[in-house]
Amino acid sequence: MSAVSARRLADKELIVVPYRRVSVSALATNVVLILLGCFFLLPLLWMVFASVDANPDWAIKIPTPTLANFADVIGRADALSSFRSSLILAGTTTVLTTLLALLAAYPLSRMHIPFRRSFMLVILFASGLPVSMLVVPVYQMYVYLGWLDSLYTTALFLAASSLPFAIWLMKNFIDAVPLELEHAAAIDGASTFRILRQVVLPLTVPGIAVTAIYTFINAWGAFIIPFVLTYSPENQPGPVEIYNFMGSHGLFKFGDLAVFSLLFSLPVIVLYLFMSRYFSGAFNFGGAVK
Amino acid sequence: MLSEVRFEGVHKIFGAETAVEDLNLTVNAGEFLVLVGPSGCGKTTTLRMLAGLERPSYGRILIGDRLVNNVSPRFRDVAMVFQSYALYPHMNVYDNLAFGMRARGAAGSVVAERVKETADVLGLGHLLKRRPSELSGGQRQRVALGRALIRQPQVFLMDEPLSNLDAGLRVQMRAELSRLHERFRVTTLYVTHDQVEAMTMGDRIAVMNLGRLQQVDAPETLYDNPANIFVAGFIGSPRMNFVPGRLTTTQGKTAIEFLGVKTPISAGSQLTGETTDGEVTVGLRPEDLMWGRVASPDSRLTVSAEVDVVEPMGHEAYVTAVCAGETVTSRFPPRSGVRTRERVELALNPARLHLFDARSGRTILQRPVAGGADVRRTVREARKEEPAEGRSDLQRQTGARGAPSRAEEIS
Repeated sequence: MSAVSARRLADKELIVVPYRRVSVSALATNVVLILLGCFFLLPLLWMVFASVDANPDWAIKIPTPTLANFADVIGRADALSSFRSSLILAGTTTVLTTLLALLAAYPLSRMHIPFRRSFMLVILFASGLPVSMLVVPVYQMYVYLGWLDSLYTTALFLAASSLPFAIWLMKNFIDAVPLELEHAAAIDGASTFRILRQVVLPLTVPGIAVTAIYTFINAWGAFIIPFVLTYSPENQPGPVEIYNFMGSHGLFKFGDLAVFSLLFSLPVIVLYLFMSRYFSGAFNFGGAVK
Repeated sequence: MLSEVRFEGVHKIFGAETAVEDLNLTVNAGEFLVLVGPSGCGKTTTLRMLAGLERPSYGRILIGDRLVNNVSPRFRDVAMVFQSYALYPHMNVYDNLAFGMRARGAAGSVVAERVKETADVLGLGHLLKRRPSELSGGQRQRVALGRALIRQPQVFLMDEPLSNLDAGLRVQMRAELSRLHERFRVTTLYVTHDQVEAMTMGDRIAVMNLGRLQQVDAPETLYDNPANIFVAGFIGSPRMNFVPGRLTTTQGKTAIEFLGVKTPISAGSQLTGETTDGEVTVGLRPEDLMWGRVASPDSRLTVSAEVDVVEPMGHEAYVTAVCAGETVTSRFPPRSGVRTRERVELALNPARLHLFDARSGRTILQRPVAGGADVRRTVREARKEEPAEGRSDLQRQTGARGAPSRAEEIS
């Protein structure tokens, strides 16, 4: 279109700017979402405010700023040991789960296994089972085996309970690696081990990272299992420690509780940010096929 | 030493489906054989069986004199170019090219030298540091090709390597592949559904349909003497016209009646033994069905037709016309000026007719082979006899690397 005709169009004001109509349903959706958001954000807001407040209580209020709560928590031995416990627990769980999930997912993705579909459905079903359902028999089993109050044996059960979902997750990532790449490598003369190490594994790194981070975050926040399976104060991970803050200290120290919760959620926030990079397609198979 | 490839009575059955049925095919040493057919005809399965990615259900596959049925792909000493290229996305071009040699334990300096050589042959020298995702389609194609070339295998397998390229690039790569084959003379099995690729690149073409091999011949022979209706219809564009006809013998002379005309079988042609009078299918290539005004003197038979569609192609025009109730396509010169619904006269040379059994579809008329095929054949024969110098050295090296002996250990 020439400049002249464009101007003429503009002169005659033929371009209509539509006004936005706010429909009732859109309004209702937004109100509900805002309410739900408040539900989640207000406790977080309390945590942030209370952590720097000199006189915190259960209400959200503008804080009288202080860093005394932080100094208090960092100075406490049980707070530090709970971080250590959480790290051991979540770390062991993550290593175990990721390794086993990788070993299970590869054949499930690539090989002809009888009843594979049914097996995958069983895994999916198992990943949905509430763990608390198993707590009592597992406790008895641990008593019988003499495994109670060890972070590593506790991690074993955490790993077992997070494995189904991890396998499912990992399988989908391996499915995404084109089979033709493995065929090409085989024809190129590579051994099975070399194919796994140099072709499949590098391309599965995002999947391994996502599975590991997801498992770590879950194990980091696990409460019921370590609560039941450990009892010594030095073996209590963070979530159990938070519970102890509320229960055993008689008087609530809201400030310390808020600071501890804040510090404890930091690794999770960092890992989430890290994971979102992998999820948003930081890696692709461009150039592999087509 | 060049290796031939033999399929002996090979079947491939997937569940209830027979993908390949009783395949007997030899790819001569150093030959470029194109396996062509519509999708689902079993050509890719055949290739994958040769690569070792599928196991034949029955039959024997031999590379050279070695039975490879139970040899895993890595010990077959074949190289394959995939339709999708299957480049390793996390490696740069250099590592993609080097992967196969490294997997076979070649020394670093040898690898570097050969990567450079191969990259130069394919014009990839300046791209060695790039990842596949940073390459254009044509460049990826070259890398895929290079990954096969660098290995100097006994057999090249190509699975529709050009089908993901745009039209211009495809023509260019077609020529380049032919040049590379001229240069290295590696036994090549090339799968495509594109009959133009088949005709232009193949020393011989094997046509498959519904899991069965239909015909194997030099391109011109295939074109001039198709074994059956399927091959006749598949090879050639626009497609051969098929119209019903009737064979009659009076006083020892056989004549064919179709489209309202009747003509004796031409002198040079010969009917096959089992032929009897009755219904037949007559095949007419569009270029043999000419516009009456420009027809050569050989085209003595004329039929009248009504133009239905005119498709100008630039250098010529395809005219679809209705003639005695049958729709036929004919090649017209450009700017002929004919229009829809116009009546035109079509002329054809009786010597160029194809006759097929109406029921079995088999050809019942052997025609003399046109000059081109003979020439082509001699070239091929000559090529086979000439000692493959240079090439043979490379092949000896390949053998010396010990792939066959390792394979024997494992099988």
